[in-house]
Amino acid sequence: MTDVVTAVLVGIKVKDWREAIRAVCEPLLEAKAIRTTYIERSIALVDEHGPYVVVAPGIALAHARPEDGVLHLCLSAATLSDPVPFHHPDNDPVDLIFAFGSPDNQQHVRLLSALAEGLSGSLADDLRQASTQEAAEQIMEEMTQEVK
Amino acid sequence: MTNKGTEEPVLAITICGVGMGSSLILRMTAEKAFKELGVNAKVVATDVGSARSMQPDIIIGQAMHTEEFEGVAPVIVSITNFTDHQALKEKLTEPLREQGWME
Repeated sequence: MTDVVTAVLVGIKVKDWREAIRAVCEPLLEAKAIRTTYIERSIALVDEHGPYVVVAPGIALAHARPEDGVLHLCLSAATLSDPVPFHHPDNDPVDLIFAFGSPDNQQHVRLLSALAEGLSGSLADDLRQASTQEAAEQIMEEMTQEVK
Repeated sequence: MTNKGTEEPVLAITICGVGMGSSLILRMTAEKAFKELGVNAKVVATDVGSARSMQPDIIIGQAMHTEEFEGVAPVIVSITNFTDHQALKEKLTEPLREQGWME
C-alpha cells in the first residue's frame, strides 16, 4: 500500500488566497514531501488558469504537477478562520483548502478518490467543525485510511 | 440510431487547468452520476489543452473552461460544484436524452 504524508491546520488566519496556498503547503514542505518550487507553481497555476481549483462552495484544492517538486505522495488541509476570496464566480469565499502532491501521474488517484468520496459526504463540514487539532487529525486519518 | 450509452460507452471528459486534481475529483463525481443514470460512459480527466483532440461526446467542467469548447462536443455541461453528483445528474439528463444516449 502507498504511504501518504498527511497534515491538517485548524482555524488559521491568512490574508489572501496566495497566503492560504502557502500555509496549507507549509507542513508538507516541513515533512519534506514537496519542495518550495511546488508551492510557487501551485500559486502560479491559479494565476495562469484561473480559480478553477475552487472545486465546490468554499473548498479549494491546490496543487501543481509531479515535476514541479514532489518527493512523496501527500495531502494536507487547512480551515481558515476568515474565509478568503479566490475570485471564483460561484464558489467564493474559501474557508477550507486542501493541497496534494503526487510524485507521478498515478499515485494520487486513490488518494483523490478517497477525498472525492469524503467531499461528497460530510468531510468538509466535519473538518470545518473540528475545533481541536486532534479532532481534525482524526478526520484526516479516517479519510486516508483506505489509501494507506 | 447508435447504441451509444448502452453497449458502446459515451466518452465524457472532465477538464481542469492541469488535468490531475479538480478534473479527477470531477471524474469520480461524473462516474457516480452516469452510473446512477444507467448510462454506459467512459470518463477521462484531462487538462484543457489536451481536451480538444480527444473528440469527446461530452465535456464537463467549470464555466470558465467549458466556454472555450463551444462546438467541440455535442454535449457540454458546466458545473460549479465538482463534488455534487446529484446536481450533475440533473444537468446531464436532458442533453443525454436529446442525444439518445439515455432512455
